[in-house]
Amino acid sequence: MFRSLQRRIVVVFVGLLVLVMALMLALVTRSNARIVSTEIQRELTAGMQVFTQLIEQNQRQLETAATVLAADFAFREAIATQDRPTIRSVIRNHGLRIGAQAMMVIHPDGYLIASSQDSNEPSGSALSPFADLLSAAETAGKSSGFRQMRDGRLYQIVLVPIYAPKLIAWVAIGFVVDDRWAHDLSEVTGLVVSVVHRGGTGAGILASSLRDAKRTELSAAVKEISSDMPGELHIGNEHYQTVHVPLGKETFVALQRSVEQAEAPFQTLQTALWVIVLAGVVVFAIGSIMLARQIVRPVNELAGAARRIEAGDYAEPVPLKSSDEIGQLAASFDLMRERVANREQKILKLAYEDSLTGLPNRTRFIEEFNRLSDSSHGAVVVMNLDRFAPINSALGHPVGDRLLAEIGLRLGSFQSGSNLVGRLWGDEFVFLLRDADRAAATRFAESLAGALRDPFVLDGQRLDVGASLGVALYPGDGRDAATLLRRAELAMYAAKQLHSSVAFAAEAGDEPPHEQLSLIGEMREAMARQEFLLYYQPKLDLASGQVTAVEALIRWRHPQRGMVPPGRFIPFAEKTGFIRELTPWVLETVVAQLARWREVGINLVPAVNLSALDLLNPRLIDHMRRLIGSHSLAGGALCLEITESALMEDPELALAHLNELAALGLKLSIDDYGVGQASLAYLQTLPVHELKIDGSFIRAVATTPKNAAIVRSTIGMCHALGLTVVGECAETADEIAWLVANKCDLAQGYGIAKPLPAEEIPGWLAGYGARQRHQA
Amino acid sequence: MLLVVGGRVCAGDIEATVTAPSGEPLADAAVVLEPVSGSMPERHSTVTIAQRDRELVPYVTVVQTNTPIEFPNQDPFKHHLYSFSPTKTFEIKLYAGKPAKPVVFDKPGEVALGCNIHDWMEAYVYVVDSPYFAKTDANGHARITDVPAGSYRLKWWHPRQKRAVSARAIEIGAAPMSVTQVLDVKPRVIKPKPPADKEKY
Ligand SMILES: [Cu+2]
Repeated sequence: MFRSLQRRIVVVFVGLLVLVMALMLALVTRSNARIVSTEIQRELTAGMQVFTQLIEQNQRQLETAATVLAADFAFREAIATQDRPTIRSVIRNHGLRIGAQAMMVIHPDGYLIASSQDSNEPSGSALSPFADLLSAAETAGKSSGFRQMRDGRLYQIVLVPIYAPKLIAWVAIGFVVDDRWAHDLSEVTGLVVSVVHRGGTGAGILASSLRDAKRTELSAAVKEISSDMPGELHIGNEHYQTVHVPLGKETFVALQRSVEQAEAPFQTLQTALWVIVLAGVVVFAIGSIMLARQIVRPVNELAGAARRIEAGDYAEPVPLKSSDEIGQLAASFDLMRERVANREQKILKLAYEDSLTGLPNRTRFIEEFNRLSDSSHGAVVVMNLDRFAPINSALGHPVGDRLLAEIGLRLGSFQSGSNLVGRLWGDEFVFLLRDADRAAATRFAESLAGALRDPFVLDGQRLDVGASLGVALYPGDGRDAATLLRRAELAMYAAKQLHSSVAFAAEAGDEPPHEQLSLIGEMREAMARQEFLLYYQPKLDLASGQVTAVEALIRWRHPQRGMVPPGRFIPFAEKTGFIRELTPWVLETVVAQLARWREVGINLVPAVNLSALDLLNPRLIDHMRRLIGSHSLAGGALCLEITESALMEDPELALAHLNELAALGLKLSIDDYGVGQASLAYLQTLPVHELKIDGSFIRAVATTPKNAAIVRSTIGMCHALGLTVVGECAETADEIAWLVANKCDLAQGYGIAKPLPAEEIPGWLAGYGARQRHQA
Repeated sequence: MLLVVGGRVCAGDIEATVTAPSGEPLADAAVVLEPVSGSMPERHSTVTIAQRDRELVPYVTVVQTNTPIEFPNQDPFKHHLYSFSPTKTFEIKLYAGKPAKPVVFDKPGEVALGCNIHDWMEAYVYVVDSPYFAKTDANGHARITDVPAGSYRLKWWHPRQKRAVSARAIEIGAAPMSVTQVLDVKPRVIKPKPPADKEKY
């Protein structure tokens, strides 16, 4: 491209010059040709006039000479007395005197009396060779003309009378027309002078100023032209512009001008012009090539710098050589390079570093993992803080962020040559343990737990932070980062559910695919065979001591495997979409059960769990509407429990659907609060009525002051927002007592009742009421 | 000029008219009657051809054989008179006034006279063997008187005639006669004559 820029500059410059020069040359050549043509015509016209005048002048001179001779007394006497020897000697002498080649004395009757040419006496009957001139002279007194004589030569002849005093004879004087004559005239006229005779036998040259070969060529050429058609004549390789002057019958003079000779000065001029033009073009071409190079070289250098920057090499500065426009461009370009380099460093930092903790982020983690060789092995550990969301909600985001930064600082000490520590998002951290096996991973997990055991102190406040860890080993649990992260995460959730600090992916989840497939197929069959059934776990109103609600929990009574816990099939039902068939069944069953309880005078508000898929399914709302309509359910008669994670999948759509569900008069409850990331501030914007605090918080309220403080403040804030609070997993009497003491509205857990089949509920209610009364 | 010859008795007059072929009258033509036989009187009174104002006057003169002619020069400068005619060849070199003696024209025939100095000067003398002759005037008329009766040859001549007219026989009686003749002549060549200057030469 730059090569072609250089070429373009040169081509345009030189092309323009060549164009101008060509136009000039064409103009000069054209005008020269015109000038030559005009000049030749002018010369020919002038030459013809001069020639004609010279001929007339010669003729007058001859006439004068003849008249003088004719007046000579002795001569006249000799003629009158027929004294021929005397006559002959007189005309010879006179001829010599005036340089005439031919002299004759002719009798008025037309015969020759004497001639300077014939040595022997002419007989009296010899007639003069030009009777026509004689008759013309008889009329006009004298005559002249060009005549060929017996010797074959052409003469210019004048004829004057001799009186004594009457006409006694004519005297004729002739000058020969020969090459010398032609040459003399040629010198005066500046033209080629040739005398051409055109007889019956063809044309011939009588005289010419041309010499040798040219003359021979002329005699060849002259045969082809006609006397009355003058114009251009080719003589050999030369061109002659020709005019004719008649010299009597059958004879004419061709006056010629060589076109080549006329062109010669112009040819010299044109040659000089060509030399100048060619030299000019060459000089100009060299000059523009050099100029183009000067322009293009720095541009090429800039292009090279641009290519280096494009390839990511910002180190080498852009060459700055000149102070002209290109130099300024280079300077700007260099400034740009520096700024881009700075910005790229910042972006790289942002792209690979977590800004809060300064630890590597998810992208960096994945890149580091991908750098591992296929044959390597190791562990991916995902760590999630327990109870972080309530801390965030209770103490505010700035504190939560400072806590995360502190934790990041402490985790940073685990960063080593073989270990990578990173933050995935929120309160979730990741560790890459290169070359670690299961035992090493376990040891690492233990040391990690040890590191977090010391409380964090923020603003004089002690905060205890626990964590759940999931471990995936590669290549055993997966070969790519995404799989390993997912499996480690699943293991982490499993650990949370199992309330243990560490879980391994191999045990926690992700059944082998074929087992999953068979399970999905079996779920459909189970639906048809009515293998699913619902258990209900009572919720105790702590203020009144009455059981007012139950949570419906699904169970699968597998013919071969026995009771399958929901954790083993609900995730797959969600993944495959089977949950869409399952949830309506659950709802139908619960509503039907509600009616049956009412018949026996039991008033309970049953709660049904909705998955993310259910919440985002618009058909569920229609289904719900039909259900409420067909059973004439009153407002608040049915409760729907939704996990935070279900809300997070598509918060906007979830909110819209929640609004519709709330409008239908359904009671809405947030399940497992504290496990996820949702803050109270966010939950407050939703049309929810109830909040269920996750069991992990409740389990330790009685013994751990920190948990107690968090739960206490959560209850307080919920009440302030108009939400009822449910404590989950209330297992011991202490815990229930603590919840009562701290104004928690409801409690649910083994400490009150385990999930029961529907038919056992009336019996249990009766027994529980009796026990309470008994205790009271 | 009129010559009266012959006896008183039996003499006749001849009236002659000469025209050009176009019918125009022709001046300066000579009419001559030559007696076939017998003697005839010879009277040789001197005839004059003058040179006046660079011209020879008269242009044509007819004389009988042996007549002397004088050539007086009346111009204030010289002339050089010549004749190359075989009838009478002579030359009077540069002279002024009247030459010492006249030139006798002793043979019949025509004589052309010219001046070597002035080319345009010319005069013609027709010498005949007879005293009976005349010259036509401007009207082409000529009269020969007192010609004795007898047989004659009638001859015509003009200095510029193209062809000679052959003589014919004629009888002269007492009664006057008239003859006519057509002569074809060349136009007179007008030779350039410079105008006379103050000094008249
Ligand atoms: Cu004279």
